[in-house]
Amino acid sequence: MATTETNILNRLYFVAGCMFVFALAVVFKLCTIQFVQGDAYRALAEERTIEDFEIEPNRGNVYSADGSLLATSIPKYDIRIDAIQPKAIVFEKYIGALADSLSVFRGKSTSYYKNIIIKARNNKNRYFLLARNISYSDYIRLRNFPLLNLGAIKGGLIVEQTTRREHPMGEIAARSIGYERFDEDGNATRAGIDGAFGEKYLQGQKGKRLKQKIGNGQWKPIKDYNQVEPKDGYDVYTTIDVNIQDIAHHSLLGQLEEYEADHGCVVVMDVKTGEIKAISNLGRNKKGKYYERLNYAVGESHEPGSTFKVMTMMAALEDKVIDTSTIIDTKNGIKYFYGRTISDSHRGGYGKISAARALEVSSNIGLATIADDHYSKQPEKFLKHLRAWNLDKTLGVSIVGEGIPDIPKPGASNWSRNALPSMAYGYNLTMTPLQTLAFYNAIANDGELIKPRFIKSVKSFDKDIEVFDKEVLVDEICSDNTLAKIRDILKNIVIRGTGERMYSKTFSMAGKTGTARTDYANFEEWKKDRKYISSFAGYFPADNPKYSCIVVIHKPSSKKGIYGADVAGPVFKRIAQKIYTDTPIIDEVEALEFNSSIVNADFEGYYKKAQNYKKLMPSVVGMPAMDAIALLENLEVNVKVKLNGSGTVKKQSIDKHQKLQPNQTIFLDAS
Amino acid sequence: MIASSHSADKKVYEIAKLTNDVKELRSAFVDKRGRLMRLKKESYVEAEMKKKNISISLNPPTKIIVKSKKQ
Repeated sequence: MATTETNILNRLYFVAGCMFVFALAVVFKLCTIQFVQGDAYRALAEERTIEDFEIEPNRGNVYSADGSLLATSIPKYDIRIDAIQPKAIVFEKYIGALADSLSVFRGKSTSYYKNIIIKARNNKNRYFLLARNISYSDYIRLRNFPLLNLGAIKGGLIVEQTTRREHPMGEIAARSIGYERFDEDGNATRAGIDGAFGEKYLQGQKGKRLKQKIGNGQWKPIKDYNQVEPKDGYDVYTTIDVNIQDIAHHSLLGQLEEYEADHGCVVVMDVKTGEIKAISNLGRNKKGKYYERLNYAVGESHEPGSTFKVMTMMAALEDKVIDTSTIIDTKNGIKYFYGRTISDSHRGGYGKISAARALEVSSNIGLATIADDHYSKQPEKFLKHLRAWNLDKTLGVSIVGEGIPDIPKPGASNWSRNALPSMAYGYNLTMTPLQTLAFYNAIANDGELIKPRFIKSVKSFDKDIEVFDKEVLVDEICSDNTLAKIRDILKNIVIRGTGERMYSKTFSMAGKTGTARTDYANFEEWKKDRKYISSFAGYFPADNPKYSCIVVIHKPSSKKGIYGADVAGPVFKRIAQKIYTDTPIIDEVEALEFNSSIVNADFEGYYKKAQNYKKLMPSVVGMPAMDAIALLENLEVNVKVKLNGSGTVKKQSIDKHQKLQPNQTIFLDAS
Repeated sequence: MIASSHSADKKVYEIAKLTNDVKELRSAFVDKRGRLMRLKKESYVEAEMKKKNISISLNPPTKIIVKSKKQ
């Protein structure tokens, strides 16, 4: 018995000892964790539940001159469905109706949507895309579709929201408004105004805030202030006028479609300030649709063709080597220059004409002759003018990627004896449409060459951060005398020159047409498929110009027409007309005290009758029907009046001074 | 301590919800404004009016200002 007791006790001591050692070990471990490794674990815990959040600033908006939104950041939605989340019975019940709604929303057939969703369910797709990048109003619509309206748990709806840059005006000036985009490596593509001013103004600065994880995937700020406050981007106000832009866009689109051209651009500039009121660039894609692809007006440097003849003429007039009346022999339409022929588009030529007339009819020979006769020995004298007019340099506009002009010099690889005569009518040199426009604008602006600009101001709410003023590049491009002469010729071009077909009796325009060959390096190939650039540069109204404008259309179908006045001219004219019809003609007259005894007597008689007859029938015989009806319908008794004929009342169905009953009908005969 | 922490959490959820509402309303605003701007465009009005045989006038409106003689 005793033995058994000892045995049990021994075992008890053993077990108790073990438990004591275990307890000690636990205490030891606790202490190590708490005091030895404690710091490391606390740091780890913090790392998991506390994070430094970047707060994205709001990107600024781009506005038009009148405050319309051109670019803004808004949330867009991707809608997906978890195809196996809904119960079988629910899925069967609503799938037909959902497919039906999607078919109305997207346009494909009901069975198509039914099939793809059932397939997604069979494939156990928990993340099946229904619609990408849709607007808020579409999202609200989609959310109310059958099945989806049951929500995430019963219906399997998944909504993802992202912020995207949007152009609320759609296609209009899309390229010039532009965007800023980053690829995976963080390299930016910066197009247009949004791109050019993105970094500096629109972007804003990121903020920072320490947050702690709480339930539901939410994070709670630890301190009640941000470590670094985010700074929203500034708003950029452009010079674009939405109305002019709209007209420019659509008239260019119309012409491009009509002439099946490759691409084209139009720019409208305010003469006095250099503000770009409209800029539209449209190119054709493979399907033959036109959309804003590249900023041709700013970026594409090409041979300007005949619009450059104006520069040649001005240089010659300024040097006084010719006058507008100097006679030039343009022969019979073909002339040899150093073994090369230059021809005029008019068959048989113009013969001997004045220099001014040569420009009016856009004679290649005429202008080449002027340049060759007076500058072949001293080309530098001619080139000096082009440099003084800033034509060999970029304008330095804010949009990235301005085309670089090329004006050859003696000694350059593209210089030869023929270079000068070619340059005289716009070949063998390249310029962008915007550079040509800036020059024409200077002619309209009394000789002051100003830099075209796209931005009016940068604002933070109502506060101006930076205001952009006009920048003068050249104070005076030529003498007033030359300017007056060239403006006269430009005006006459539309009246009786190559722009004659654009002439309008109601409003005035001035400008120069251009029809230049392009892609002619292989001349034999070119002859088979003739490609041209049609353009028109000018300003309106001809006297006291308000806007200058250039239209360039590349490669119109030569079957439909190639000439500047036919292809590019109508776009110019439409814009000029729009601005003309939008500006009211103001007529001031002195206040007229018009006193006619007949009118007064008539009025008195009517007034008296209206005062005296309230419930009785007045005599309206002899009154104009118009007055009689007004009188009767305004009586205190509500009567109906039926009139036969028009003119003066001859007969009334109720005699005068009769008491009238409500709703009684009175017949009047008039002739 | 725990109670106030919970009430802070509640506020966070509320703020998250309100921020989302703000985004949605902003999106709705831009959406509607964009549509209005497109409807206001002259080219659109012109196309709509063509159906009713109304086209753009070739002449500008005349504004007559009457100068009253006040003596």
